[in-house]
Amino acid sequence: MSEHTLQAGLFDLIGYMLTSARGLVDEPRLYGPFRLVDGVSRLCTLLEQEASPHRDFFAGLREKIDEGKFSVMTDEKAFIALLDDAVLEYTKKRVED
Amino acid sequence: MELKKAIFERRSIRQFTDADITPEELEMLVHAGIWAPTAGNIQPWLFFCVTGPEQIHNIQVLSPGMLGNPTALVCVCSDLNRAFEKAGEGGKTLALFDCAMASQNIMLRAHDLGIGSCVVRSFNQAAVRTILKAPSHVQPELIIMLGRPARVPNPPKRNEDVLFWEEYTEEGEGK
Repeated sequence: MSEHTLQAGLFDLIGYMLTSARGLVDEPRLYGPFRLVDGVSRLCTLLEQEASPHRDFFAGLREKIDEGKFSVMTDEKAFIALLDDAVLEYTKKRVED
Repeated sequence: MELKKAIFERRSIRQFTDADITPEELEMLVHAGIWAPTAGNIQPWLFFCVTGPEQIHNIQVLSPGMLGNPTALVCVCSDLNRAFEKAGEGGKTLALFDCAMASQNIMLRAHDLGIGSCVVRSFNQAAVRTILKAPSHVQPELIIMLGRPARVPNPPKRNEDVLFWEEYTEEGEGK
């Protein structure tokens, strides 16, 4: 990914984070964790296109989040389990590295 | 399409193919919207059809609830001047109801035409108004994402225990 594309992607992410922050003042409680984990997915999308030894990890984490994140609307327990799983996966990666 | 089929088979679609929605189709959708019920025949709505990829992207960046890859949007807005002129302070609430009913018409008509839709309220109204270059009395209320469905989700569970006959009873609540 070119520096320009990365900058553009991060600029988009700022828009997402700012409007999420304002929106969450008035939105359902579970939208908060949803926006955060969706933000992680968006960040992974940018990072997995960078030359990095962690590319596969970023791609795997994004896929896991994107597959399960909509459970927030239908199955709260499954959504929380997804968050737990993602945290554990990230932690294992940190310990391994 | 039979109305019953449209009501019960419509789903919130977030994954779309690259196929475009034509201007003619968008006009048909808006036409369905303007035939929704409207308090006092105020018709306090305005419909912005957006098909340009850059304009869609700009709106999407400022709309955290807009997840997926729509190829067109209908931004359903209330005209607050018209609502206030016709119905005073209460006009704003009536306009919101009317925009919601118009949106449902649009989504059912979209399903009828084989177009997927998903209604979004999680967006920043001031930001979207700015992107649309709309004046301050035009209030974006709902955004309807549109596109050819690439994936149709399974129907979520519905709570059927919400019906009361004649009067409220404790026994009938939240069964």
